[in-house]
Amino acid sequence: MERSTSMATGAHIGVSPSPSARWALGAPLIVVFALALLVPLVGNDYWVLIATRAAIYWVLVAGLNLMIGFAGQLAIGYVALLTLGAYTTSVLVAGNVMPAINPFLALATAGCVGALSGVIVGLPALRLRTFYFAISTLGFATIVTQIALAWQSVTGGGIGLPGPEFPSPLDTHAGFYFFCLGIAAFCTWMTVNIAHSRFGRALIAVRDADVAAEATGISKPHLLVTVFLFAGALAGIAGGLFASLQTYITPDAFTFDLSVLFFIAVLIGGRGSILGPLLGTVILTLLPEFAAPLAAWSTFLYAFLLLAVVLAAPGGIAALLDFKSRKPLRSNRAIVPQPAFLKEVLSEGEAKGPIVLRNIVLSFGGVRAVDGVDLDIRPGQVHGLIGPNGSGKTTTLNVISGYYRPETGTMSVAGLALPAGAAERRAARGIARTFQTPRIIGEASVLQNVMIGGTIDGRALFVESLLALPRHRRDEAKLHAAAISALRIVGLVGLADVRADRLQHSELRFMEIARALMLRPTMLLLDEPAAGLAADEIVRLGALIKEISRNGTGVLLVEHHADLIFDICDHVTVLNLGRVLATGTPAEVRVHKEVVSAYLGG
Amino acid sequence: MLASILASGLAVGAIYALIGIAYNTMFSASRVMSFTAGQLGMLGGVFGSMFVLRLGLPMVIGLLLTLACCAVIGVITEVVAVRPVLKSLDQHLYVLSTLALALMIQHAVAIEWSTEPQPFPRIFGSSSGGILDEKFWLPIVACGATIIGLEMLSRHTLVGRAFLAIAEDNFAAQALGLPERNLRMASYALAGAIGALAGFSGGALLLAFVANGPLLNFYGFVPVALGGLGNNRGAIVGGLALGIFQQTANFLVGGIFSSVAVFVLFIIVLLAAPQGMFGAPTTRRV
Amino acid sequence: MPTSGGELLLDVNDLKTGYGKIVVLQGVDLDVRASEIVALLGPNGAGKTTLLRAISGLLPWSGGGVRFLNRDLRGVGPRETARAGLAHVIEGHRIFTQQTVTDNLLLAAYDLPRGERSARIEEALSYFPEISAKRNDSGSALSGGQQQMLAVAQGLVRRPKLLMLDEPSAGLSPVLVDRVLAAVSRLREAGTAVLLVEQLIDKALAVADRVYALAQGKIVLEAPTSEPNLPTRLERAYFGHHADRLHG
Repeated sequence: MERSTSMATGAHIGVSPSPSARWALGAPLIVVFALALLVPLVGNDYWVLIATRAAIYWVLVAGLNLMIGFAGQLAIGYVALLTLGAYTTSVLVAGNVMPAINPFLALATAGCVGALSGVIVGLPALRLRTFYFAISTLGFATIVTQIALAWQSVTGGGIGLPGPEFPSPLDTHAGFYFFCLGIAAFCTWMTVNIAHSRFGRALIAVRDADVAAEATGISKPHLLVTVFLFAGALAGIAGGLFASLQTYITPDAFTFDLSVLFFIAVLIGGRGSILGPLLGTVILTLLPEFAAPLAAWSTFLYAFLLLAVVLAAPGGIAALLDFKSRKPLRSNRAIVPQPAFLKEVLSEGEAKGPIVLRNIVLSFGGVRAVDGVDLDIRPGQVHGLIGPNGSGKTTTLNVISGYYRPETGTMSVAGLALPAGAAERRAARGIARTFQTPRIIGEASVLQNVMIGGTIDGRALFVESLLALPRHRRDEAKLHAAAISALRIVGLVGLADVRADRLQHSELRFMEIARALMLRPTMLLLDEPAAGLAADEIVRLGALIKEISRNGTGVLLVEHHADLIFDICDHVTVLNLGRVLATGTPAEVRVHKEVVSAYLGG
Repeated sequence: MLASILASGLAVGAIYALIGIAYNTMFSASRVMSFTAGQLGMLGGVFGSMFVLRLGLPMVIGLLLTLACCAVIGVITEVVAVRPVLKSLDQHLYVLSTLALALMIQHAVAIEWSTEPQPFPRIFGSSSGGILDEKFWLPIVACGATIIGLEMLSRHTLVGRAFLAIAEDNFAAQALGLPERNLRMASYALAGAIGALAGFSGGALLLAFVANGPLLNFYGFVPVALGGLGNNRGAIVGGLALGIFQQTANFLVGGIFSSVAVFVLFIIVLLAAPQGMFGAPTTRRV
Repeated sequence: MPTSGGELLLDVNDLKTGYGKIVVLQGVDLDVRASEIVALLGPNGAGKTTLLRAISGLLPWSGGGVRFLNRDLRGVGPRETARAGLAHVIEGHRIFTQQTVTDNLLLAAYDLPRGERSARIEEALSYFPEISAKRNDSGSALSGGQQQMLAVAQGLVRRPKLLMLDEPSAGLSPVLVDRVLAAVSRLREAGTAVLLVEQLIDKALAVADRVYALAQGKIVLEAPTSEPNLPTRLERAYFGHHADRLHG
């Protein structure tokens, strides 16, 4: 099976992913597994057992990595799922509850039980904050152990029960080892595929920029539940393999220390990476073996390593191995947009029609931030929205993009009502936006940040991405090409492979616009895009926005920079204290006495 | 029977409430939920047993030393695990740094002290048995004293008022010229002492047991979840209620399932009211 | 450029700073002398609040320098600048609503010797009789305007040589704005200099001796308030080249 996709250390995709480039980027993983194949040949039985243990742990950690490293959900009690998988397999093979079944079938069942439990353990993440969720997973771990202890008729209570035995040739140490290694390799391949799919990018978006993720149409609950299912299934299968390795399981084989090992492996390895956590798992499994006197202190050591990583190297092993990000960038880079390419991206679009707001009212505390605002944004026009601080401009934009629910008033696009709230459904309606402070994923490359903008365009299902089926590859190629076009339009294509947190502030602003263009929007909402830009960059920004509107997109421009507004807007609305003060062409608004005095006060 | 459930429920509840207050104290000063709160409680019992039983020091000295040592650990937590990550935008880092520190504390104690529960000294003579035994009223008295002490601190001392100020609006406090960093360290020291008091006063009930660390981490957090972050009164009500609920469940369905019961209750309450029953609504995201 | 001739208190020299990657101040020059009121005006996003925060030490700088009473303020935090005689009343009348008026003032007096605290608090309250009457009320019971007065009073507790006020008129009714600015005038008579950031141009020009205008991170205008045509010149500074299309 071809290891089709790219590097595992940082999540980099080349500008032109040729097959040879892809192989080169996957090399480290291939090397690890090649070395693993040699273990039975060069080591004795003891080392084979250790290596088997590492492989089994990695099966679980591969899935957990997607949860913790990619989705950012700190599930620190994951040993609960290992326990469930182990007991499920053992009970089914031992025949306590029902007639004994084939161990492979039991393993598959453990996977299903794990998947379901993974969803149950993970569901609180959708409602709870980080710390609360972490504690809730701890509670789950305790409960599962308690149940294993108490449910004696099934689990044998404190005495435990024998683990499943697999038929020949898997009943030898080497045979079982290759079986586990094969499963581990398959899981690695699957998670690498996900990492380089729209799902992997969406997970990272939810982790680091969840507000922006909503605006691009990513539905956090759907995505997370899918990951919980997958990670749970892997954990369940790992549990079954673990039970076989142990040959006999009791509740105290599943200590909190194991949970600690799992999540520390992910974090030491580095978030958003596959190779890093793999190396982390191997290191943490082998550590107590190499330093025998340290064995008792092993968990202390893991914790110390975690603290060291958090304080000194938050990117983990992956960041240390990320040599590409250390190459210096040219310092006097200019952003040169090429709006001519817009036709490639914006030519197809949905039914165009104006955004119409009527009588929007929204209060915070006792204060009316938006007090009966009417607004019409027509396609093909640049509509400026200006006003002093506190006038309600950004709030109005947030209402349109669905982050705030107005108390009264209606909104519609092309005649169809726009529901209040529901920010993640705006992308499907062709409404894209940028943010006052760029909300981007620092650890991902510029290209990946922009590809996230097109997430909802993907057609492949999670399973198809998991197995790198043709529709997944077509999706990736399409998104890749569209993102390159978008970057060309805004003038950043030379920086496509660079980590986004190395970019200057002004470049990030243009990158956000590229991300928004991926939606081929009929309406583009820009929240103070000129803030922090140099004078010449503002001029280019203005030209770019003007071209975008000439291609048929309607643009709402919330801004402070009077120059930009009066240069490029076809229509301007002025807000003050939440009410519309004036609306008309720039020339009309400019001489409106109340506008001038609202700005100058008094 | 009812009296016994009530006595033990209020006693453990008071311990949980004190740990909850330790959580709240650290949170108010830094907006960080620290995993070390439960470990401080565990250390209260372990240090108490070590100073009084192993080293033979008088009870009062033992108590003061325990409070002091845990206060130092509180300051170490602030310097090592909290301050460095406060500057970072990454929310999850403080969860990991305080968790790492808590694990280090726990395992160091497990190896150097013991993995088995060790006896805790009696403070007032021999056991009288029954519900008026010191193991029941000590934690309750400790909890009451702490609450009264905190009230007096915030009403009658400038330092206490300064704590309230940095809890309410850290930036305004800085701008006003308050020594916000020193106050934060002092808050963590105070949280350490409160956690130590919980473990020391609860020593007879919980013994000097390293496994108390994660136990108190969870059970001490439930009052915070119920009462709302930073709300000490809510933590007391939540803690006492939790204690009684747990002892009742213990009596009705036995030890193992009582922890299941508590956990289910915890999840239900959190999912229904993520800010706690008396908590404040969350801030705007955009 | 005519000055009021007093001692130079604050000397800001080519100051550059921002938030993370965003550069806000691109080289600001400004000074304030004893017993004068200096107004700092400018459109939103110009960097006025950023400038005050950089001066008082709430925000680190990336370039340039600030000297206060001839002392270099590089790396000096808000606690030290307050002790040195530079008080900063931040925007948004952010007082501590969970404590009483007196407590709020006591907190402002944190670094003062215990014996002096009451006297200084009385002094500060004397500028605002309205909140003096409410000294035992909780901060949450005050109206927005009263909270703003309390915030200014907090700044006065330390008897600063220079008081920096960030938009004290924000959210206040005109009557209360006049009240606050009247107190500001009295301060000048008492020898305190004031750096006043404001949105309301007319009111600011009425009370100030000199005015600076800040736009897009740079000072674009500096003049004594006695000069004619200031409102027009300010508009031009605010609206850039479009201001010339004003009035026809």
